[in-house]
Amino acid sequence: MIRGRLLFLGLLLLGAGTAGAWELRDDSGQTFQLARAPQRIVSLLPSLTETVCALGECARLVGVDRYSNFPESVRALPQLGGGLDPQLEAIVALKPDLVLASAFAPGVQRMRALGLKLLVLEPRDFADAVRVVRVLGQVLAVDTAAAVVQGMERELRAAAQAVPVAARGKTVYFEVNPGPYAAGPSSFVGQMLAQLGLRNIVPASLGAFPKINPELVVRAQPDVILVGDNEVDDLSKRPGWGALVAVRTQRMCVFGKQDSDTLVRPGPRMAQGAMRVAQCLQRLYPGPA
Amino acid sequence: MSAPGRRSPLAWALVLCAASLLFVLLGVCVGSSGWQAWADMARDPVAWQIVWDIRLPRSVGAWGAGALLGLSGAVAQGLFRNPLADPYLLGSAAGASLGVCVALALLGVSPASLEWLAQIGLTGAAFAGATGAVLLTLVLARGVQHTLRLLLAGVVVGVVLGAASSLVLLMQPQLLQAMQGFLLGSTAFVGWSGCLLMLVVWSLCMAAAWWFSPVLDGLALGESTALSLGLPLAPMRLGLILVLALASGTAVAQTGLIAFVGLAAPHLVRSVLRATHAWLLLLSGLMGGALLLAADLLARALIAPQELPVGVLTAVLGGGYLLWLMHRQSASLPGGGA
Amino acid sequence: MALRAQGVGARLGGVQVLHVLDLHLEPGRWTSIVGPNGAGKSTLLRVLAGLLPHQGSVCLGDRLLSQWPPRERARVLAWLGQSESVVDDLSVMDVALLGRLPHQAWLAKPNAQDLAVVEKYLRLTQAWDWRHRSLGALSGGERQRVLLARALCVEADILLMDEPLANLDPPHQADWLQIVRSLVARGTTVVSVLHEVSMALQADTLVVMAQGRITHQGPTSDPLSHRAIERVFGQRIAVHAVQGQWVAIPTSAPPATPPAAPD
Repeated sequence: MIRGRLLFLGLLLLGAGTAGAWELRDDSGQTFQLARAPQRIVSLLPSLTETVCALGECARLVGVDRYSNFPESVRALPQLGGGLDPQLEAIVALKPDLVLASAFAPGVQRMRALGLKLLVLEPRDFADAVRVVRVLGQVLAVDTAAAVVQGMERELRAAAQAVPVAARGKTVYFEVNPGPYAAGPSSFVGQMLAQLGLRNIVPASLGAFPKINPELVVRAQPDVILVGDNEVDDLSKRPGWGALVAVRTQRMCVFGKQDSDTLVRPGPRMAQGAMRVAQCLQRLYPGPA
Repeated sequence: MSAPGRRSPLAWALVLCAASLLFVLLGVCVGSSGWQAWADMARDPVAWQIVWDIRLPRSVGAWGAGALLGLSGAVAQGLFRNPLADPYLLGSAAGASLGVCVALALLGVSPASLEWLAQIGLTGAAFAGATGAVLLTLVLARGVQHTLRLLLAGVVVGVVLGAASSLVLLMQPQLLQAMQGFLLGSTAFVGWSGCLLMLVVWSLCMAAAWWFSPVLDGLALGESTALSLGLPLAPMRLGLILVLALASGTAVAQTGLIAFVGLAAPHLVRSVLRATHAWLLLLSGLMGGALLLAADLLARALIAPQELPVGVLTAVLGGGYLLWLMHRQSASLPGGGA
Repeated sequence: MALRAQGVGARLGGVQVLHVLDLHLEPGRWTSIVGPNGAGKSTLLRVLAGLLPHQGSVCLGDRLLSQWPPRERARVLAWLGQSESVVDDLSVMDVALLGRLPHQAWLAKPNAQDLAVVEKYLRLTQAWDWRHRSLGALSGGERQRVLLARALCVEADILLMDEPLANLDPPHQADWLQIVRSLVARGTTVVSVLHEVSMALQADTLVVMAQGRITHQGPTSDPLSHRAIERVFGQRIAVHAVQGQWVAIPTSAPPATPPAAPD
């Protein structure tokens, strides 16, 4: 959080003075300079693709990674490998003036060496997602960023209000994938659940995405189980889980691929993910919101 | 020294060099942009950049990594007199993985503050991990006297460092995908600086290994016999292990863990001729280079514009040829071959 | 050149295998070391070759063995081990040429003299005809002949051989005997560890060992040596003269004395 605020302050200071040319430090610690707003953008991270489109600049995208699938129009763009195995040749052939990448991409140094302009952004939680929107709004020289952020916050508040009274304060367990890897309170998903007024059975001390002992779930007896993948068949077969209240009374929310994308990508659609959760809770706890 | 009618080692060396050159030229023409880039080279600066800055260093880098792996595979097999030995025997693979894992984890924590880490980059971390692991093996085995103890120490180091990597990944599961990319191995991100480094290291290691090669020949008769022939086993074995560490560490740092090249290249060479280690080491390097170069070519060409993982292709190419050799050998000998 | 061991002892795996023994090997003679299994014969031979750490001192010529530079020592002292695992890939020619290593400059190619020596000894052990076959394709006896040729190629003053007759059939054992005799006639010192006692009785000198100690040293023709052999093998063999040569013949077991009945 503090990092985000400082960065924003730095942006303000740096961007305020010079019109046109300015610089900032991205998530890889590199100083980033641009003479003018980029017109040909390659995005190698789905959440960054969605952010660019949310700012209304989808037309500037010339290439995306294979996992970017929203909005529909980006599927027609050339796919340049994954975030972790980008196809250098294809990227260079598209002659982009800006490449958006995640911090863990192995080709980042290589792309810099080839002379490509690289902006490394790694959104990991709610505050990061907001920061990314503001940074990209600054970089793309558009003024829609503030509106987008306000929209995100407003939708999130609406989702929180959509949660039925009976469901507020309930304990939840969010399983990211079988491992079991759970979403802790400090993760993106965990923060969203907290915004919805739900309590996470995973303690904050375990980190963002801990691999937990299934016993933890059995002991904590969550009221609702949220699964980010279609794995509901296995749950009752896990030892001790068949007796869980949530499993017996089918108080489980299973999210398909499309909804999962909104839940696990720290991007502008996170409010939609929150709304999905709220809608599921409305089904499980019918009653006034 | 070889049977009459078989080609000499020098002839084979020239054949492999010619094949490698051919593959490099083909590599320049193959990629996601296809032949167009080669044709447009003169006019279009982007096409020039594609050919000169991406395809050419990638091909040369693939050759360099393959040559390093082939050389270290031959050294490992000669040193331990075990045809199943590969360059990662003494824990260098596990060490490199741990180095990359820790570097990724540290970068994830606070990327901006670790300037030095960004400087060395993941390649430096992988190299440090690989060489550190081999040195740890040497320390655990308390010297190079007993090969069995050395092998056991290598296995122990490999397993323990692998467990340490798993522990780091457990605490930072977002690194899993990045680690998988490293473990699978890729020639896609090798630049000219990496090529130069690999070629320089290969030349150094080749010269050192060539100097030590009589020890490998003597060891073929057994340790005691080698000692009785007056060979200075201990210092030269240490030298060979350092060559092994340097060569495999450099290759792993540049291209990740590419399996099978180090194992297969010496076998492929021995299947076509018999020679003393002085020639065997050189030819294993050349064969490894040609093998990885061919695999890199196919990886790019088969399903262009997408790419196959290069480790899969080395296994298919090298393994397929060895299988055919085994089949041919067992068919010709009446009682079944070795 | 004389090879001498003084106060030599050796430990293997924490067990004292050789107990403080003295041995003087006469130059230009064939000495054979005999004894039952586990007597420490191979260990003694390894100590004499400088391949094992030991207590006491071994002297080669006028210097301690450990003071000899390895390559010089390798030119003077050749060793043929017992069932050393050899890589199967090598050809017969390669293996024999490795015996010339002590005489070659580092990394030098074999010269005409090396090739001549190798040819001579491969013909002597009747392995010349298949010199291009790989070791793995040979039978046990053929392999042994090649390894023997390798040791001979060193053309050392002293030749130490541990079980050189393994897998050799009688005609080739006879060949080996002839080779050793001609070597000795030229002044080479030969020391062999043999479990074929009759073969050992062809040597000039006998060293009889039991339980890590030397129980007797002396000429083969000496009846005291014969009695020493018989004793060390628990009277299960008897040494007789047959057609002018000494042979050891197994005897039937002496009638077992019944153990004293407990009270």
